[in-house]
Amino acid sequence: MTKHLIPFLFIVLIFTFSCNVNNNNTANETADTALLLVATFDTAAPYYVEKPVWIEGTVTHTCKHGGKRMFIADGNDSIMVEITTGPDIVKFDDGLAGSRVHILGTVKEERIDDKYLNEWEAEILKPEESHETGLHSGAKGHEDQPNDSKLEQIKSLREQLKSSGKDHLSFFSVEAISFQEIPPVNTDINVKNK
Amino acid sequence: MKLKTLRRWNNAVHRDIGYLAIGLTIIYALSGIILNHFKSGDFVHPDYGKKYENFQVSLPSDGIINKAYALNILNQVGEEDHFKSYVTGNGYLQIFFEKGSVYVDLSNGNAQLEKKSPRYLLKEFNLLHYNNIKSWFTWFSDVYAVALILLAITGLFILRGKNGILGRGAWLTAAGIIIPAIILLIYA
Repeated sequence: MTKHLIPFLFIVLIFTFSCNVNNNNTANETADTALLLVATFDTAAPYYVEKPVWIEGTVTHTCKHGGKRMFIADGNDSIMVEITTGPDIVKFDDGLAGSRVHILGTVKEERIDDKYLNEWEAEILKPEESHETGLHSGAKGHEDQPNDSKLEQIKSLREQLKSSGKDHLSFFSVEAISFQEIPPVNTDINVKNK
Repeated sequence: MKLKTLRRWNNAVHRDIGYLAIGLTIIYALSGIILNHFKSGDFVHPDYGKKYENFQVSLPSDGIINKAYALNILNQVGEEDHFKSYVTGNGYLQIFFEKGSVYVDLSNGNAQLEKKSPRYLLKEFNLLHYNNIKSWFTWFSDVYAVALILLAITGLFILRGKNGILGRGAWLTAAGIIIPAIILLIYA
């Protein structure tokens, strides 16, 4: 009886693990963890690289290639912050789109230099492009950008790099340690349609 | 070891690994079909079925975009009770509701409704296929891959005679190798 049960239990375990992976770990709150705002993330992030921070916003987009990244905004998309999955987060489900989330994560800096841009360009020109390379803007349709568009983006980054006078450009994101959905805040501010 | 004993072991290994591997094989196969079609552009999203509908909305007469305006648009598509949030952008408004969103071009009132339906079970299967779990599951799936290799190799020697590896098996195995080799030669 036991030798028949063991393989059956093994298969049940596979299904159990696949369906019950915890996507919403409880955050370990520390008193001295800074709270960053989406609106000022770009200016504040350089001071928190590799440090834990809190950040909150509305999910505007989740990556459809495995759910490994999402973008949050706060009211409008003038600034969108990229959030990537950390080791303890399985994925960001597409069902999160439109939800307000409270995230504990580590600020990460991605340095874009000539070497990075060359490698990204080479990847784009391959028949099977990896979705792990390159910058993700979070804008609508960015995952379905044609190659011309991506090459234009690279060209623009090269120009920015040249005019910056530095050997690299810095882009910041947050690698999530944990997150939770929270009730939406009343962001009903009247926005004038230009 | 005698051939008879070897054959018994071969068949026993094939049988037992076959039983053990059936669950994950079905998971990877079904998920593979979905991801295959997703990669070739047949599906917009591997985890959700998505339907799109274009329609026209009136632009706010006072030029103000707010929750009331967003709810009014959702009312047009029968989703005002499922409102979640909205985000404005440069010339557009995106309204999120429980199972989708509406994207509005504020220059001309063109709107697109996106409704999504979860592919229950398949989206969990995709999670395994993408190895979202990482860490221990990477090794677990490596063990499964080795099991599949053993399954394939032991399968070659199950049958004897004209239906075995020295008979029709030889032709079918050769075809199974030559076809992907030709594909690789053409495209790689």
